[in-house]
Amino acid sequence: MTNQVSPVEEQEKLLEEALNIVKVQAFQMKRCLDKSKLMDALKHASTMLGELRTSLLSPKSYYELYMAITDELRHLELYLLEEFQKGRKVADLYELVQYAGNIVPRLYLLITVGLVYIKTNTNLRRDLLKDLVEMCRGVQHPLRGLFLRNYLLQCTRNVLPDTHEAPNENEGTVRDAVDFVLMNFAEMNKLWVRMQHQGHSRDKERRERERSELRILVGTNLVRLSQLESVTVEDYRRMVLPGILEQVVSCRDAIAQEYLMECIIQVFPDEFHLANLQPFLKSCAELQPGVNIKNIIIALIERLASYSQRNEGNMNLSVVLEDGQEQEVQLFEVFSDQVAAITQSRVDMPQEDMLSLQLALLKLAQRCHPDKLNYVDRVLAHTDKICADIHQSSGQSTLEHHTPVFKELMKIIKLPCDHYKNILVLIKLSNYAPLIRHLSYQGRVMIAVHLINDVLETNTAISTPQDVEAVLGLLDVLVKDQPDQPPSESDVEDFVEEQGLLARLIHHFKSDSADQQYLITSTARKILQGGGARRIQHTFPPLVFHAYRLAFVYKDLKDQDEMWEKKCQKIFQFCHQTITMLVKAELAELPLRLYLQGALAISEIGFANHETIAYEFLSQAFSLYEDEISDSKAQLAAITLIIATFEQINCFGAENAEPMRTQCALAASKLLKKPDQSRAVALCSHLFWKGTRDGRPVWALNDASRALDCLKKAARVAQQCMDGGVQAQLLAELLGRYALLRERGNQSLTPSLIDAIIQKIREELANLDQSEEVEQITKHFHNTLQHLKNRIESPDPESLGYEGLTLS
Amino acid sequence: MSFFGFGQTADIEIVFDDADKRKVAEVKTDDGKKEKLLLYYDGETVSGKVNVTLRKPGSKLEHQGIKVELIGQIELFYDRGNHHEFISLVKELARPGDLLQHTSYPFEFANVEKPYEVYTGSNVRLRYFLRATIVRRLTDITKEVDIAVHTLCSYPDVLNSIKMEVGIEDCLHIEFEYNKSKYHLKDVIVGKIYFLLVRIKIKHMEISIIKRETTGSGPNTFTENETVAKYEIMDGAPVRGESIPIRVFLAGYDLTPTMRDINNKFSVRYYLNLVLMDTEDRRYFKQQEVILWRKSDKSRLPLHPHHPQTVSYQGHQSLRKQSVSSDDNSARATPSNPDPENVMQRSVSPSMPEKQNGPLQMEREKPEAFIDKLAGAHINENDTNDTSDEIEEPKPVEKLPVVEKPLIAEKPQIAEKPTLNRPEPAGSPSQ
Repeated sequence: MTNQVSPVEEQEKLLEEALNIVKVQAFQMKRCLDKSKLMDALKHASTMLGELRTSLLSPKSYYELYMAITDELRHLELYLLEEFQKGRKVADLYELVQYAGNIVPRLYLLITVGLVYIKTNTNLRRDLLKDLVEMCRGVQHPLRGLFLRNYLLQCTRNVLPDTHEAPNENEGTVRDAVDFVLMNFAEMNKLWVRMQHQGHSRDKERRERERSELRILVGTNLVRLSQLESVTVEDYRRMVLPGILEQVVSCRDAIAQEYLMECIIQVFPDEFHLANLQPFLKSCAELQPGVNIKNIIIALIERLASYSQRNEGNMNLSVVLEDGQEQEVQLFEVFSDQVAAITQSRVDMPQEDMLSLQLALLKLAQRCHPDKLNYVDRVLAHTDKICADIHQSSGQSTLEHHTPVFKELMKIIKLPCDHYKNILVLIKLSNYAPLIRHLSYQGRVMIAVHLINDVLETNTAISTPQDVEAVLGLLDVLVKDQPDQPPSESDVEDFVEEQGLLARLIHHFKSDSADQQYLITSTARKILQGGGARRIQHTFPPLVFHAYRLAFVYKDLKDQDEMWEKKCQKIFQFCHQTITMLVKAELAELPLRLYLQGALAISEIGFANHETIAYEFLSQAFSLYEDEISDSKAQLAAITLIIATFEQINCFGAENAEPMRTQCALAASKLLKKPDQSRAVALCSHLFWKGTRDGRPVWALNDASRALDCLKKAARVAQQCMDGGVQAQLLAELLGRYALLRERGNQSLTPSLIDAIIQKIREELANLDQSEEVEQITKHFHNTLQHLKNRIESPDPESLGYEGLTLS
Repeated sequence: MSFFGFGQTADIEIVFDDADKRKVAEVKTDDGKKEKLLLYYDGETVSGKVNVTLRKPGSKLEHQGIKVELIGQIELFYDRGNHHEFISLVKELARPGDLLQHTSYPFEFANVEKPYEVYTGSNVRLRYFLRATIVRRLTDITKEVDIAVHTLCSYPDVLNSIKMEVGIEDCLHIEFEYNKSKYHLKDVIVGKIYFLLVRIKIKHMEISIIKRETTGSGPNTFTENETVAKYEIMDGAPVRGESIPIRVFLAGYDLTPTMRDINNKFSVRYYLNLVLMDTEDRRYFKQQEVILWRKSDKSRLPLHPHHPQTVSYQGHQSLRKQSVSSDDNSARATPSNPDPENVMQRSVSPSMPEKQNGPLQMEREKPEAFIDKLAGAHINENDTNDTSDEIEEPKPVEKLPVVEKPLIAEKPQIAEKPTLNRPEPAGSPSQ
C-alpha cells in the first residue's frame, strides 16, 4: 500500500467528520428547542443540514448522513407540531426558513415546516404540496436532489389527500396527490437518469452500481402512488399510468426503464394491470434497445396468470378500442398481439429473449386458458417462425446444443409436456412436432426421452393408429436414422437405453378394441421398420408380443367374432413377416426365440390350420438354429429352448412331430462339447415322453424306449468326459432326469437302472478330492436321493413308484 | 452647554405631538448603529413644543431670539464641511429678550413637503432634523432631534414582469423572468430561470441583490456597490429544458427604496444579479435593475389578495408560448420592436447593449477578477446566521405566500408534461 488513503477509508473519514458535526449541531438544536429558542434552533438545524451540501460522499455514505440528519429533523418537526397544536403559532415560519441562503438546507427546512403547517391546517394542504414539489426543482444535483425529494416524499406520506371529494377545495383531492407524486417522480427520475451521463466514461460501471443503489428512491414514488386508496381503476387508467409511462418512455434510459417497468408491475394491483394492459405493453415496445424487455413482460404475464388462476379464470378483461368502445378480450390475445408487435419492432432483441417471451406466453395460455389449446398452438407457431428466422440468420438448420436459444426452446418444448402430462394432447398441437425439429440431434433425443418417460409415468394408452403415427412422429429421432446424427456410434449404452425406452413405450400402444389393436400394431411396424437393424431388434419384440397377446384376445372373442380364425391367421402372418425382418437384419437368437414363442401361442390358441403354422414357426426357429447359431453356448441354449418349446406344444400329429424330434435329437448329439452333448441329449428324452400333468391326456406319440435311449446315450457321453467332477455332475443331473421321467410314468426306466446310476455317481464322488464344486455336486446328489427316499416311503399314487430300489 | 461654568444656561427639549402614538422607524446613524426615530411622511405636519429649562432657576437668560428649524440635508462624506440643505424651514419662537423661567413654545410646520427618504449609505447621508436654537451673543444653545421620513409610493399592481433571454453563444442560453420590475420592500421576488442551452458544467446559481450608491457628479462621481443579499437558487448542473423557480423574500434584508438623483447629489439603485458558477469557478452573471419602493403599511394589510406571488414554473412550454405570443410586451430587448414595455425596460437598464437581435450577451467575468469579490464559490454560512438574526425581529407580514392563490391552477396544461394532464371527468360520478 502506498501512502494514499484508500477510497473506502477516505469515505469513512469524511462521513465520520460530517456525522460529528451533525451530532454537535443536533445537540445544540435540541438544547435551544428545550429553551424554546426556536430561531437559534433553526440556525443550528440549518448548519446541520449544510452537511448535506457535500459532493464528496458516495451514495452509500450520503445515505447514512441523510438518515442521521433527517432523524434529528424529526425532533424539530415534533417540537413545532406540539407548539402549533397548542396554538403557539410562530408567525411566518414558512417564510422565515426561506431566508436561509443555501438552497439545500433551506428546502429541507421548508419541507419540515411545510409538513407542520399541513398537519395543523389542512386548508393549506393543496397549495403547500404544490409549492414544495415545485421549489425542490432548485436542487439539480442528482444525488442531493434525489435525497431531498425523497425526504419530501417521506414527510408527506401520511398527509397526501386521498379522497375524491374534498370538504374544502383547498384540502385537495386524490388528484392533487397523484399530481404531486407524479411530478416528484418525474423530477427524481430525471435526476437519476442524469447521473448516468455525468463524469468520466471509465467510471461507467461504478456509476451504474451507484445508480442501482439509489433506484429504490425513485421507485418509492410508485409505491406511494399505489398506496393511494381512493385511486380507482379508472383513475389509474386516466391519471396515474399515462403519467408514469410517459416519463419512463421519454427518459430513454435503459436502467431506469427496466427498473421502473418492473416496479409498476410489482406495486399496483392486478386489476389495474388488467385494465391497462394495452397501454403498458405498448410502452414496452417503445423502450430503449438495451432494456431487457423480456423480464418485464414475463413478470407481468406471471403475475396476471397467477391472478387469473386465483380467480379461476373469472376475469373481466376489456380494452378500449380506438373508437372508444370497450370490448371484452382474452388475456392471451392481448399479450399475444403485443408481444408480436414488440418482437417485430425490436429488431435488436436477442433471439433467446424472443423465445423466452414465447415461453411466458405459453405459460399464460396454459394457465389462464386451459380450455383453449389453439392458443398454445399459436404460440408454438410463433416460436416455429422465430426458430426459422434464427436458422436463416445463423445459416444452420438446427439450434446448437447449449446455446441460449437452444435452452429456451427446450423449455418451450418441455413445458406443454410437463403441463398436460399427456402425449395425446401434445399431438393435437400441430406445431409441436415441427418445433422439435429445430433442435439439434442431442436435443431431439433429450426431448424424446423426456416424452417417453412422461408416457411411462402417466401410463397413457395410445389407442388409435393415427395417434401412434403422431407419437412416433414426435419421436422421430429414436425411430430412424437422422441426417445430422453423429457418424460414429458415440455411446452404445445410451443408444440401447433410448431404444429400450422406446420399446417400453410400444407397450402402451394399446386399444380395447381388438381390430383397432391390430391396426395400431401394423401401423407401428410400418413406421418402426424404417429404423434399421439396430433399432428393430429393440422395437419389434414388443410389437410381436402385442400381436401374440392380440391373438389370445381373439381366441377369447371367438364366440362373438366368427372371423376370429382368419384374423388369427393374419396376425401370425404379420408376426411371421415381422420376425422375418429381424432375420433379414442378420439377427438369429432373437427371431429364434420369437418364433418359438409364436409356436407356443399358436398351439395354445388352436385355430384352424394352426398345426401347419406352428410347424412353420418351429421349423423356422430350427433352421435359424442350424444356419445362424454357431457359438456353442448359444447353440446349447437354443436347442434347449427348442426342445422345451416342443415339449410344451401338443398340437403336432406324428407327421409333423417325427421329423422335428428326430432333428432335435440329431442336433443335440452333434453339439461340440461333451458335457453340452450329454445335457442336450438327456433333454431330448422329453421329446419322446411327455407326462400327464395338469390333466393333459396321455400323449399319443410317447415312446418310452427312445426316451430311455436318449438317457442312456447321455450317460454314455457323460462318462466320456475326462474331468471326474464334470462326470459326477452330469450323472447327478441325469439321475434327476431319470427320476423325473419315471415319475411321469415311463416304466422303461426301472429302479435297477436308477440304482446303477446311483452307484456310478457314488463311485465317481469317492474318487474326487474335496472342493467346493464337489461339495455342491454331492449336495445335489443327496437332495435327489432324499427325494427318492421320500417317494419310497410315501409313494405318490398317481405316478410310478420306486419299487425295489434300495438306498443305502 | 456651559463652557465656562458661569452665567445662565438652559437645556432645550423638543417634544413632538403624538410622540407616543406615532410610529417609529429604525434609521442607521453615522457610526452604523441603529436608532429609533419618529416617523413622518411627506406632507405631514411636524408639530410639537420646544421646552426651555433654565439650569439656574431665578436668574435670567438673555437671548437674541429663539427659533426652531426643520432641516432636510444631504451630507456627502467626502465633503464633510458642505451640507446641502434641501429643506430649511424656520419658525421664530421668541423675539430677543430675557428668559426668566422655564418656557414652552409650541411650534408647527404645517404640511411639510418631505420629498426624500432618510438614508445612510457608505458615502452619503440624508437626514431630517429639527433644530431649536436660543441665539446668544457668544454661543448659541441648540438642540437637534432627528426624525425619520419614509417616502411612500404606490404602483399599480400590474405585472410588468422582466423577461429576458441572455446567453453566451454556443455555451449558455437562459431565459429568466422576474414577476415584476418594481418591488416594494416587503415584497417577494418570484420568477424562474429557463435553461435553453447548457454546454458548461454549472455548479450552482444564485441571485444577489446589489445596492449601487452613486454620489457626486461629473469627475467626482463615487460609486459604491454593496451586496445586500446573496441567495442560492440552484444547486447542481441543470440540463436543457430545466426550469428553476426563484422566490426571494425581500422583507428580511436591509433595503431602501430606489433613489434616483436625489437633489442631484446621489442615487441608490438596486440590481438583481443572477450569477451562475461553473465547476471551474467561472462566473456568468446578468445584472438587472429593479425598482424598490416603499409601500404604505395601511394598504399592505390586504396584500393584493388577487395578486399572485408565484409565477408558474410548472412547465416552461406554457411560458415559452406565452413569451412568443406576447412578444410585443415582453422585455426582449429587440430594438426593432420598441413598445412601451421595451422602453420601460431600457430605461431601467440603459447600459444594456442592444447591438444584436439575438439573445443578449451575458457577461463572463475572469475568475481572478472575482477572487476578492466573493470568498469562495459557496455562500458563507454567515449568510444564514445573519438571516436568522433578523428573523428574530417580529415581522408584520401576516400572510404566507403560498396561501395566496397561485396561478398554476388557472394555467393551461402544458405540452411538455402531458403526464399531468387530467382528462376531464366527463360523466364519471365517482369523481
